[in-house]
Amino acid sequence: MTVLTDIFKSTLPPPTRKSERWKYSPISKLLNSTLSTDSSEIDGGFSNEIAPNPVEGLEAYRLVFRNGKFNHSLSDLPIAKGVICMPQSEVSGEDVPEFKNTYSKTEWVGELNESYHQDGLFLKIDRNIKLDRPVLIHHLTDGKDVASFPRHFVRVEEGGEVDVVVWSSSTKNSSGMYNGILEASIAPNATLTLEKVCNEDGKIYHFSHENIIQERDSKFKMHTFTVKGHWVRNELEIISRGKGTDSIFNGAFLPTGNEHVDNHTTMDHTSTDGTSSELYRGIMYGTSTGVFNGKVFVRPDAQRTNAFQQNTNIVADRGASINAKPELEIYADDVKCSHGCTVGQFDLDALFYLKSRGIDEKAAKALLVEAFLADVISSVPCTELREEIMKIYKERHGW
Amino acid sequence: MLKIKNLHAKVGDNEILNGLNLEVKPGELHAIMGPNGSGKSTLAAVLAGREAYEVTDGMVELDGTDLLDLEASDRAREGVFLAFQYPIEIPGVSNLNFMKAAVNAKRAHQGQPPIKAKDFLAKVKECSSLVELDGKLRDRSVNEGFSGGEKKRNEIFQMAILEPKLCVLDETDSGLDIDALRVVSKGVNAMRSKDRAFIVITHYQRLLDHIIPDFVHVLSNGRIVKSGGKELALELEDKGYDWIKEEQNA
Ligand SMILES: Nc1ncnc2c1ncn2[C@@H]1O[C@H](COP(=O)(O)OP(=O)(O)OP(=O)(O)O)[C@@H](O)[C@H]1O
Ligand SMILES: [Mg+2]
Repeated sequence: MTVLTDIFKSTLPPPTRKSERWKYSPISKLLNSTLSTDSSEIDGGFSNEIAPNPVEGLEAYRLVFRNGKFNHSLSDLPIAKGVICMPQSEVSGEDVPEFKNTYSKTEWVGELNESYHQDGLFLKIDRNIKLDRPVLIHHLTDGKDVASFPRHFVRVEEGGEVDVVVWSSSTKNSSGMYNGILEASIAPNATLTLEKVCNEDGKIYHFSHENIIQERDSKFKMHTFTVKGHWVRNELEIISRGKGTDSIFNGAFLPTGNEHVDNHTTMDHTSTDGTSSELYRGIMYGTSTGVFNGKVFVRPDAQRTNAFQQNTNIVADRGASINAKPELEIYADDVKCSHGCTVGQFDLDALFYLKSRGIDEKAAKALLVEAFLADVISSVPCTELREEIMKIYKERHGW
Repeated sequence: MLKIKNLHAKVGDNEILNGLNLEVKPGELHAIMGPNGSGKSTLAAVLAGREAYEVTDGMVELDGTDLLDLEASDRAREGVFLAFQYPIEIPGVSNLNFMKAAVNAKRAHQGQPPIKAKDFLAKVKECSSLVELDGKLRDRSVNEGFSGGEKKRNEIFQMAILEPKLCVLDETDSGLDIDALRVVSKGVNAMRSKDRAFIVITHYQRLLDHIIPDFVHVLSNGRIVKSGGKELALELEDKGYDWIKEEQNA
């Protein structure tokens, strides 16, 4: 019998339940499947089900990928001074980015991406340049047993500013694997805003890994929304390399049915005077399963770090569960760190209070959910995106 | 309007109400007093439909409708309102959105379209001035960071907005300063009408100086053990509950 490891060769073994990092997110079902990358020619078509622009009304530059391959005619690239924004397949010479993160050497998933990577975004923002609109990457998986390996590279030079949206979707009958990596480095005083949205139908194993390097006084702000997905693993790794960096990263997930969502985050403070603020909120419906693992390192030299982490989970239905674990390792003495991690139910007192005023159970829960998500969602800078995400959540959960 | 017959209720294995009878007619105001733990708040919660309380016997009817058959939200739409002894804080839900949702839920129940924004605001203005609720409090999250007294005012504000048939006030006076007590009482009195009835739970006669009851009942061990006119409250203030317990045991 052919299995995945016969098709995609690697030196590293696939993760098993024995590894702490993968204990609650087994991938044995994926390993027993036979996937292949899409070898068809790009025909200019996209999908009848899904529009190339997934967020109605959103004014953004756009890079559209289908099964890992760039589609030029559906994309809309910026032409602006001090901005290089193009598919990596078109980058040449000294500009060709060199991925510096070590993910390919430590993880099977990373090695597969390294070996089989396809196209992706190449974005470079020059000194003090602020791009006027967000850059939206839309990746569609369409087909049975498809494996895609997108890979994105972002560099923001000193004082520059850019907002990137990574949106992945797939059609109803699709299956396979999405294995995407994004590497970004943010120069002193530069700002990168990143929104990652997974809204996938069908049965996709979605692995994504963001590796962010922050230099002195840079700002990074990210939202990770798992709007829909059969099996999703979001990995975010932020390394603060210079003093005075600011990192804000929030996430929300509301899996239902037998979906699985895993959020692994790492915040690594290696220099002084950095602040980080992390807020992840989840509501587990149906028989869904979830994982939250939030690592915060404060290295010996990272004095006066201020790190905040909160993860709040509601298990809405009996059959659902989540395994949540904060991991703080603090090696500096002059730091402020706080963290909170809770797994609970809907607040029955609040629910009764709302109902006692005539609001039915469903509407009352919707009010509570909206309030619960507000802190995560309200900080998304782009109104259309915020509204689209809430709209999908609402439709999915019938509020 | 309200008929309670032989009501028995428990929480877990605790029998708390043991055959309670009470009839309230439109326009009437009934005060319920009684020692701590006697079951006053339990009665209020059972009337409002809190699921944790299990009714094991008896009936409760509101204008001929079996209340016990209805969910909490349906009871509210039928006109039951409970002013909580301990109002709940709900971070992230704005007081006004909450009230708008409640008003529209009731209107939908009555086959009416949602309230117009202008009408709603006018109503909010009228009702908040009735209980002198600060505009800032109105706009904040439900009860979040409100002082004890502000929460109680907010309950009466909500009551005024929702115009219920039957108002159950559970120790609305506790936590209120003297001026606030006067304001809240004024609000309640302004809402008294021939079609609306009140059950006012309190420990203190002083509330009943402002809100004059038609009847006063003493609840003890889950049943009403004595009823009388407003003078009964004065007598209780004077003598405490022991004499009633003695009467019971005799
Ligand atoms: N959820 C609950 N779980 C367990 N016991 C309860 C619960 N609610 C009420 N009780 C018990 O039922 C009894 C009556 O409580 P209740 O709150 O109705 O009293 P009360 O008359 O309102 O008292 P107070 O004057 O102190 O407000 C008390 O002994 C109380 O401990
Ligand atoms: Mg009480």
